[in-house]
Amino acid sequence: MAWRDFENAAPGAGWMIAFWILAIVLIASAMWVISASKPVYSVVGLLVHFTALAFMFITLSAEFLAAIQIIVYSGAILVLFLFVIALLSSGVAPFSAGPNRLPKIGIPAVALILIALGATVYATAHVSLQTPAVISTSGARMLSTVGFAGEADVFGSVADFGKALFTVHLLPFEITAFILMVAVIGVILLAGDQTPYVASRKRAVAVQRELREAILRGGEE
Amino acid sequence: MLGVDGSYPLIVALWLLPLAGAILCWVFGPQLKQVAGWLACTAMGASFVLTLLSWQAGTQTRVGDSNVAATNLLGAHQALFSWLPGFDFGLLLDPLSLIWAFIITGVGFLIHVYSMGYMYGDRAYARFFAYMNFFVFAMLTLVLSDNFVGLLVGWGLVGLASYFLIGFWFERPSAVAAARKAFVINVAGDVGIMLAIFILFAYTRSLGFGDVFANAGALGTTALLAVCVCLFIGAAAKSAQIPLHTWLPDAMEGPTPVSALIHAATMVTAGVYLVARCAPLWSQSPKAQLLVGTIGALTALMGAILGTAQWDIKRILAYSTMSQIGYMIMGVGVGAYEGGVAHFFTHAFFKAQLFLGSGLIIHALANEQDVRRMGGLAKKLPFAFWAMTIGVLAICGIPGFSGFFSKDQVIYGALQHGHPWLYAIGIITAGITAYYMFRMLLVTFAGEYRGNVAPGDLGMSVPKSADAETEAAAGTQAEPHVGDTHAHAPGWLMAVPVGILIVPTVLAGWLLFGGEHSAWAQFFAGQFTVSVLQNIPPISEGITTLIVLVLVIAGIAIAWIRYGTEAARSNAVVRLRDESVRMPGVLVHAFYVDAAIDVLFVRTSKFLGAAFGEFLDPQVIDGAVRGAVTSASLLGSLVRWLQTGLVRAYAFILVLGAVCLLAYYAIVGAH
Amino acid sequence: MSGVLPVAIANYISLSAIIFFIGVAGVLLRRNPLIMLMSIELMWNAANLLFLAFARVWLNNAGHVFAFLVITVAAAEAAIGLAIVVTVFRSAQNVDVDEVRTLHG
Repeated sequence: MAWRDFENAAPGAGWMIAFWILAIVLIASAMWVISASKPVYSVVGLLVHFTALAFMFITLSAEFLAAIQIIVYSGAILVLFLFVIALLSSGVAPFSAGPNRLPKIGIPAVALILIALGATVYATAHVSLQTPAVISTSGARMLSTVGFAGEADVFGSVADFGKALFTVHLLPFEITAFILMVAVIGVILLAGDQTPYVASRKRAVAVQRELREAILRGGEE
Repeated sequence: MLGVDGSYPLIVALWLLPLAGAILCWVFGPQLKQVAGWLACTAMGASFVLTLLSWQAGTQTRVGDSNVAATNLLGAHQALFSWLPGFDFGLLLDPLSLIWAFIITGVGFLIHVYSMGYMYGDRAYARFFAYMNFFVFAMLTLVLSDNFVGLLVGWGLVGLASYFLIGFWFERPSAVAAARKAFVINVAGDVGIMLAIFILFAYTRSLGFGDVFANAGALGTTALLAVCVCLFIGAAAKSAQIPLHTWLPDAMEGPTPVSALIHAATMVTAGVYLVARCAPLWSQSPKAQLLVGTIGALTALMGAILGTAQWDIKRILAYSTMSQIGYMIMGVGVGAYEGGVAHFFTHAFFKAQLFLGSGLIIHALANEQDVRRMGGLAKKLPFAFWAMTIGVLAICGIPGFSGFFSKDQVIYGALQHGHPWLYAIGIITAGITAYYMFRMLLVTFAGEYRGNVAPGDLGMSVPKSADAETEAAAGTQAEPHVGDTHAHAPGWLMAVPVGILIVPTVLAGWLLFGGEHSAWAQFFAGQFTVSVLQNIPPISEGITTLIVLVLVIAGIAIAWIRYGTEAARSNAVVRLRDESVRMPGVLVHAFYVDAAIDVLFVRTSKFLGAAFGEFLDPQVIDGAVRGAVTSASLLGSLVRWLQTGLVRAYAFILVLGAVCLLAYYAIVGAH
Repeated sequence: MSGVLPVAIANYISLSAIIFFIGVAGVLLRRNPLIMLMSIELMWNAANLLFLAFARVWLNNAGHVFAFLVITVAAAEAAIGLAIVVTVFRSAQNVDVDEVRTLHG
């Protein structure tokens, strides 16, 4: 098989056009997300954003992560969002809003954002990006072409990624697993079925009320 | 230490016996009733006897060690107890304190006996004798102490006893006010003495007389002057010198024996004792001596001038006391210590005699004290008349009587020590003294009895009837003597002491006869460091005596012309009324000193009190506290403004912090 | 081997920053809790982009690993966040974050 490696080869103009188109899509969809009137519209915008991001990852030779982005983010998290929207839509007054209690936050917020952007631009212009000492920890010997992304020894491939994850970065991996377990337990406790606990919940509420009244009575004396 | 160390139980006993008498009369007063008087007199008599028995100890001398700077140890020193390491309390009986103790116990004993008659029937008989004995104990503490702190303790206790006794008839508001006035002015003097003690201690690190005087060189001129001035403030307050004299005339609100003992013979002479005791300090500070001498002379003059304008017999005597003490202060101030102390000695006798004599009159006339309503008492009260006459002759300085010798020694001493102006003031005052004393004598005893004349006709201000009745009823004798609206003879309890006092009034002065070789001078040999007189005064002592005599005779003559001649006597009512009405306001209000003190101090204090109480305390101090509370709650409400409970607000602050961090790293660089 | 990006790295940094701050704006300015959570997702993704861009520059796998872990944690966080939203707003009158003010002092 012929490998085309891009060592010291400038990427073609095609990649640059791809970057700019994707950049515009990303920004536009982000704006759509935060300004849509209904949450469902925001979800659609977010879907477009994630997809464009996946393509952006591919241009960065991170094919595995592009796949993970589509599968996990668009496939799981966005679906979760949709489920919650559906759940809340069936409530008392679906997505109506109360009075705005921080009406003047717009100006300081925008100002803050502009300052931050300015700082970022300033930093990139003036801070030199030094190459770290260890250039590569992967065993990859070559970059990928579009067609042969899954091969081992290719930067950004599954094998390459897996080798790094399970050897060098094993501890963070295990901790992340633990985080996931905590999340599952938390979700069950928070939003799970509360019926078995109704009796004890009622007792807890009653105790709470008695305690509050005792404190009030004590304060009056 | 001054004084020969040793064990002198007699001295301790003579000091403590009056205290025992006071405590017994206090505690067992209601049970003792009339016996309290005998008890108190016994305590006094025993003290006097013990004083006489301690004469030998008090006058012993011993030459000091040749190693130490030559000091002759005079008198007896009894150590009592140790207060702090290096500070011991003890009793010192040297010639100076011996003379004072002699007068205090001797004259005090006679006055106690007199009081048994004077205060007979008073509701608080036992309390009176308790206070009198307590006073004697305090005065003995003052004169017998061997250190400044003991002296100060005695000083304060004497002031307290004076407060008790002036306000003895405490239902009378005038008595209470007078007592309070005396006490407050005395406290001002106490502050002076305390300051002096502080300064002395700071420089000499000791409190006993001997140690302080030995180290007195450690004080510089300024510090020494400060000490002397502060000491003199105390002396002036206690001895009623200008400007702290205003309490003495008001102190006559107390019973007459009190006036005799405290405000004539003993307590008011405490200032003289202080100056004489601290002679080593004064001798080194000529400026202080000039100050003391001048104030003494001016007080003598002012007292005499005011004495000519008084109508209350006790107030006349009060001003004369002030004047005579001015003489004493002048004497010890300029350095004529023996003369000043001699005048104290003779003055105690004749002033006590005059007061007790006036007490006889007052008692006989049922508490009438205004001389305008007396008159003609020479025939009605002959004993009182002769006693008072002898006293007046003594105080005027008639040759042969006691006052003659001592007053001349004081006046000439001023000239000897180089103060011609004080000498002149002394001579003039002698003349004025003769005038007003004879005025008192003539108005009281000569002519016809004026007790039946209406007060208005005599020029007296008519008192409001209600006040007069309550004042007369409250606090005076519970059971008036039988027939006391008429003059009658005193009982023997009152007559005998007066009679006994006649003897020293006449003869005491002869102790000074002989100048430097008199018994008096020998008694005090070595007590005071004698300063060599530099200049021979231009006027000899003999000429001085003649000048004084001339002025005295002139004064007597003027008094005779105004009050004693046949025409004056027969016209007494009209003349007295004229004099009362035409009395100059300056004299009536005693040179406005009281008014000045009122404006300067009393009103200032009241103003300050109001300012602090109504403004400073509630507005400023409380305001500061409230301000702290207010600022705390303001701060709290400021911080509470941040606790909106809104998620977005908290998110904003979060982002703010993050942006700050970002900006920091962007600008500074994450190096 | 060295990595060469289609465009200079500064562009990626700027793009990531813009997306990130769009997410911040969404959190601060919108009151619907679901849209706030979605804005937070935007922020996660912007960070991921930057990680991968630098991983490509230095040909270092650590960037990929970290971006992967970020996705995982973001998923967990989204799950818990949504559970909280469901619990709080299940029987609420308005689905408005401003109504949750029990910590108001």
